[in-house]
Amino acid sequence: MITTSPPVALPRRFVRRGADWFLRIREASIILVTIGLVIYFQASTPVFLTEGNLITISHYVAPVAIIAAGQVLLLVSGEIDLSVGHVYALAPYLMHFAIDYYGVPVLPAIAIAIAVGACIGLVNGLITVVLRVPSFVTTLGMLFLISGITLMTSHAYPTPIPEKARSVASWLGAAPWAEITWALIIVAVFQILLSGTRWGLHTVAVGGNQHGASEAGVRVNRVKIGNFMIVSSLGALTGILESFYVNSIEPLAGGANIMFAAVAAAVIGGTALAGGSGTIVGALFGAIVLGVLKDGFNLIGINADRFDLILGIAILAAMVLNVYLARLRTGGRT
Amino acid sequence: MRRHIDARVEEAVDTLALNPVARRRLLSGAGLASAGLAATALLTACGNEQQAGTAGAGNFPVTPKWRFVFVCHVTAHPFFTPTQYGIADACALLNCDYQWTGSKDAVVGEMVGATNAAVSAKADGIALAVTDARAFTGPVNAALDAGIPVVSYNADGEPTNPGTNRLAYIGQPLYNSGRSLAQQLLSIGFTGGDVVCFIATPGSLNIQPRSDGARDVLKESGVAHNFEQIATGTDLPAELNAIEAYLQGHPNAKALLAVDGGSTDALGKTVAKLKLKDKGVLAGGFDLQPGTLESVKGGSLDYTIDQQPYLQGFLPVFMLYLYKLSGGLVSPCDTNTSLSFVTKSNVDQFANVKTRFEGSDTAQKIVPRSGGIPHK
Repeated sequence: MITTSPPVALPRRFVRRGADWFLRIREASIILVTIGLVIYFQASTPVFLTEGNLITISHYVAPVAIIAAGQVLLLVSGEIDLSVGHVYALAPYLMHFAIDYYGVPVLPAIAIAIAVGACIGLVNGLITVVLRVPSFVTTLGMLFLISGITLMTSHAYPTPIPEKARSVASWLGAAPWAEITWALIIVAVFQILLSGTRWGLHTVAVGGNQHGASEAGVRVNRVKIGNFMIVSSLGALTGILESFYVNSIEPLAGGANIMFAAVAAAVIGGTALAGGSGTIVGALFGAIVLGVLKDGFNLIGINADRFDLILGIAILAAMVLNVYLARLRTGGRT
Repeated sequence: MRRHIDARVEEAVDTLALNPVARRRLLSGAGLASAGLAATALLTACGNEQQAGTAGAGNFPVTPKWRFVFVCHVTAHPFFTPTQYGIADACALLNCDYQWTGSKDAVVGEMVGATNAAVSAKADGIALAVTDARAFTGPVNAALDAGIPVVSYNADGEPTNPGTNRLAYIGQPLYNSGRSLAQQLLSIGFTGGDVVCFIATPGSLNIQPRSDGARDVLKESGVAHNFEQIATGTDLPAELNAIEAYLQGHPNAKALLAVDGGSTDALGKTVAKLKLKDKGVLAGGFDLQPGTLESVKGGSLDYTIDQQPYLQGFLPVFMLYLYKLSGGLVSPCDTNTSLSFVTKSNVDQFANVKTRFEGSDTAQKIVPRSGGIPHK
């Protein structure tokens, strides 16, 4: 079943058991893909594992990983949020409006921006579960609506970070490692939420078998709405972190690009699009794979036009490998 | 001597993955002659006594294959096709390598990522379209700290604030070009009414200053008017839709301006489609995309402004190369890639010839011209 041939020096059974154990971890395949990519890029360019470049990679990875953490929860409960990338663009403007126009202190202003994000999630959730509009359609509508609000209120102009917010800038993404630290904490917290709490259990139950869960007493609607709110709040937080990192608030930031990247990271990391199973740590590695690919291609010097082609092939190859390894993992035991 | 150079150029050309015909033409010298002329022009413009070698790169010592990274805000936009040809041609001449990267749709975060990656990768030089006056300050300083020369091209922060410590800007001074756009409008007989200014991405510093310049000139002129700015988007189909929708809803507009290549292209097509010229509407814009030239020729656009995108790729490579070669002694210099009007009277010289310099042809060839050179 397992294809690794153990070195002669070690006892065969021990190695086989070790490999067995590793492959039983749900994230094993994506971790192998990540390691493979890192080895490849380090072999092609010696600067890959330098501190400066790791910081660059961390900025590719962090926003995708944070949004993916929420998106995984939502996907596991059987829904999807397409509007999160536009909440990302709106949130820093809300912070800027609150601070510069209404004199709100910095931290409450950020809290307001994230709370508005949560409210958008609430509306997404209510429309989806109460009015029974499929979440794909609900959030597609919300995508345009939020984008319109952002463009109108900002007059589609970029804006500097509010002066008063400079004091907290380095905590919120301006310091080199700040953003990835946020991402790792959020991934850890939400992985525990998913795999170690009742909320997580209910989320999986709702996505796996909605009627069964409902009959077993799980409040299906509440779980779904809660997860919509989590995604949107995380989208808002990410937008704010990124605006501090870029040092400017941009009307075209985020958008569908970051949303698709987060969904891709979740799916590459082993979350089922149809719901019922998923892992946030896997999505983190999915985000790392995407970030390593993007950064690595820039390091090697691949031109923009060819970039998407190769990225697409790489994602497909990573996915095929992932599915193949997943089959190895569960082979004979399902 | 000549044999020797050709071999080196040939090596560089091999990296370009050209088709055999283009490759042969490139090597046969058509591109070398014209590019060499531009190189000489550059050196003279910089006030440098140094002469370019008599045979292309042949006079320069053997250099490592330096790699220059171009970070662009709309990597797939047709405006930058000639820019990329300019980069490729200059790199072929100088035996350098380049990377064309950035964002497909003006996402500043992606451009910052690409710039930082270029610094990590120890690129030999960076050319950057500074479309945000704050986001690139840090990355450019990091590049300079790492000993990587940085120039800006096509966009250079705000009119009064370049936003980075780049060594030089190669492109059109944007605010002034916007002023010219409106001055030309006044000179062709605008006497007042609604003025609409179409802009792909408002606030983007590669185009917003033009709109501001046009607005200011009209304000200063004292002509009674109503200036409105309309966002169109970054891809042509969306721009067409946005402009057509607006013009159908606002049939009273008297003057239509566009401040980016895509919007100008779309504006010309829409003016023709809605037959707005019959109502005496005046229209003008920027750049020489093939669709725009057809519109000028057909009369639906009164004028368009050329800013020589080819040079915006070609010259940065030469400047970065010379900086590296001279150990920083020959420093990049601000270069205005010119501002000239293309109208019905002179459009033929642009529209009838398909060339690499306007992005309408991939082939290398000598473009013939005859007759006097227009002057004041």
